[in-house]
Amino acid sequence: MSINKKNLALILGVPALMLMAYTTQINAHHAFGAEFDRNAPIILQGKIVKLEWVNPHTWIHIEITTEERNGEIWMVEGGTPNVLLRRGLRRDCLAPGTEIIVDGYQTKNHALKRANGRDVTFVDGGKIFMGSSGTGAPDDAQRRGNDESGRC
Amino acid sequence: MASFAKIRLNAKFVCSTVALVAGLALMIPTLAQNDDEWVMPRTEYGQPDLQGNWTNATLTGVQRPEGMDKVLTEDQIAGLEGRRQETINADAAPSDPDREAPVKGGVYTGDALFDGATGGTGGYNYFYIDAGDRVAYYNGEPRSSLIIDPASGRFPEMTDEAKAIVAAARENAGGEFDNPESRPLGERCLLSFGDNLGPPMLPNYFYNNNYTIVQTKDEILIFTEMVHDVRIVRLGEPNPLPENMRPWMGDSWGRWEGDTLVVETSNLPLKQVNSATYVTPGGSEQMKVTERFTRVGEREINYEVTVDDPGYYMASWSAEVPFTRLDENIYEYACHEANYSLFNVLSGARAEEAREESR
Amino acid sequence: MNKNKTRFRRSEQGHRYAAKATVAFAAVLLVVSACTAPTEPTDASATAQESDIPRTPSGRPDFNGIWQALGNAHWNIEPHMASPALAMQPGPVGPVPATAVLAFGAVGSIPSGMGIVEGGEIPYLPEARVKQIENKENWAERDPEVKCYLPGVPRATYMQFPFQIFQSDAKFFISYEYASAQRDVYFEDPGPAEVDSWMGQSVGRWEGDTLVVDVSGLHEGSWLDRAGNHHSYQMKVTERYTLSGPDHILYEATIEDPATYSRPWTIRLPLYRNITENARLGQFKCVEYVEELIYGELRKNPIER
Repeated sequence: MSINKKNLALILGVPALMLMAYTTQINAHHAFGAEFDRNAPIILQGKIVKLEWVNPHTWIHIEITTEERNGEIWMVEGGTPNVLLRRGLRRDCLAPGTEIIVDGYQTKNHALKRANGRDVTFVDGGKIFMGSSGTGAPDDAQRRGNDESGRC
Repeated sequence: MASFAKIRLNAKFVCSTVALVAGLALMIPTLAQNDDEWVMPRTEYGQPDLQGNWTNATLTGVQRPEGMDKVLTEDQIAGLEGRRQETINADAAPSDPDREAPVKGGVYTGDALFDGATGGTGGYNYFYIDAGDRVAYYNGEPRSSLIIDPASGRFPEMTDEAKAIVAAARENAGGEFDNPESRPLGERCLLSFGDNLGPPMLPNYFYNNNYTIVQTKDEILIFTEMVHDVRIVRLGEPNPLPENMRPWMGDSWGRWEGDTLVVETSNLPLKQVNSATYVTPGGSEQMKVTERFTRVGEREINYEVTVDDPGYYMASWSAEVPFTRLDENIYEYACHEANYSLFNVLSGARAEEAREESR
Repeated sequence: MNKNKTRFRRSEQGHRYAAKATVAFAAVLLVVSACTAPTEPTDASATAQESDIPRTPSGRPDFNGIWQALGNAHWNIEPHMASPALAMQPGPVGPVPATAVLAFGAVGSIPSGMGIVEGGEIPYLPEARVKQIENKENWAERDPEVKCYLPGVPRATYMQFPFQIFQSDAKFFISYEYASAQRDVYFEDPGPAEVDSWMGQSVGRWEGDTLVVDVSGLHEGSWLDRAGNHHSYQMKVTERYTLSGPDHILYEATIEDPATYSRPWTIRLPLYRNITENARLGQFKCVEYVEELIYGELRKNPIER
């Protein structure tokens, strides 16, 4: 989730209801920290060339449109598509050619040109996979396919 | 009563007559009952009907936070649910289109679960999360934890043997990226991360906490979305597997006690119970799990589970988890077929080692 | 037609009772009309009605149980002679098993079979037949079964592993031993599949005593057998399950895929009940077994190959 000065206080107030367990294997979720490099932050802008609507993670393939890294193909990791499907979203709501901005961290293997999609937005900053009203309530995203603006 | 033009002894006649009689039988309690009284739905074999799609997603954690009572106050509920909603809204709000890359060294929110999962990388947008944003109501009580026994709402103390195992594993933690076998079961796509199918069946606090139950005369099938797995509960006199046969999810035998389905599971494999997750601290081969399923409403099943594991805990522990009706579909969670993550983790560890060596 | 409206007291409670009673009565009539609706039984189902097949309390054929195919359709669904191995290399006289499978010896050899395709051959479009041959020649790299990927439909039905049908008045669920593949057959059509999946979207309906299942939204990565027989994402499979006796299902599947085949075609085979007392479905969670194959080279200390 995107962290900024405004919401940091709210977020820090969330009590840790869940335990951080005793572990015989060091194990939390599937440990993004094991996959991505905290010391290799990145910001990417590009046009979608492919959407992999797969588990355990969706992957958005983009062709970089900025001067830096121009033409490179990068893969951006997301979450499970099953949650999006239950909210009424479909893969075709995000058409190839759509331009997006991604900030996150590169995989530890930098040669792969992959990063986690810590925050993935349209070029105006609106979040992808949200309804056009963008208030964040799950009901916003009930429609299937594109609306007139080409968004989910 | 409708009448038939022709009466023939054939399947259609039998079928229709059965339907009529069943329909009239349905009408009798309808006429007799109070309008608000819910009637237990039953399968064609007369068992309480547990079938369909269910979810155990909830905001309420497995263990009780310090300073809370078993039942949450209105203020506590508002605080918890309110803060969750603020998190959701904060993430959903538009971002700065001119933003820069996140800070080198990682971003941390202060939420232990989230930070543990994302390791400072920020993970991905919150719209992928479907964690259950309401506290758990069990028999109408808003709960501060799923564990209700011990009375503290927290796991009982581990045995000395178990503590020694955990300590030894921590010491040997250096090899956590050496092999695919070193990685967690969820990352290997062998089972869900967390303990969705268990038993015990607990939510994972992230997403896809969904189940389908199917009942036949002799067996109950419990299917979980992650990772497209099933437990098959056999009804009747238990005929358990030999000690050395330990399938994933163990061996389950069930019986009806009145309108409650009681399921006893043994023969859980060490590779499953020993693989502690952030939801449960692990277990031994002695683990026995007793589950009680009771349909208590149109949209609710009460799930009560007790774990007896003298090889790992000093006492047994029990949890009460509401399962509520899921109105949406369960989608295939194929996992292994597109598991880029495990590749990224192992190849990343090798790349980091190469960078270290070349320094 | 409902000509008998029961009269109730003109009270609020009475109206509620009246509403419920009317609903219950209407439900009865719906069920009656469904029961008396004419259905055209297929040849197989007409035969089945004469046989002694198990039935559920509501009168449906009871498919509950553990079932498995015999024969060797899982190797190749088209007619074929026995052959040495799934992967071959040139030899001094003729082709010989490839190094990768040499150690299997006769365990890795392929038995002969008449296949299960009605008419013998799959009616491939020319370029699709070329692809099948290439798939077969590159079996080790391309067969999804090698990597323990979910098998898809219809391959899951005739793999050399059993499956269990869980049928109730409300559900029809198939659980496969191989790779924990699962299928929940919907009886209400949710419309076109919202996403492709390895096991597809299954929508069922009864035609007499035959369960007809329409499967769509199948991921194009699955194969039909180990011989490289393939399909596209456009494939639709219409399955027909009919009990021909207490221990046999006659299974038919018609396959349509205009991107791959010149016309629809049908496979047919019997499925046999496991009649062992206390038979259980086993587990074959093979994802674990292929980790060395897929990830071995990424170990910190890889085993020399």
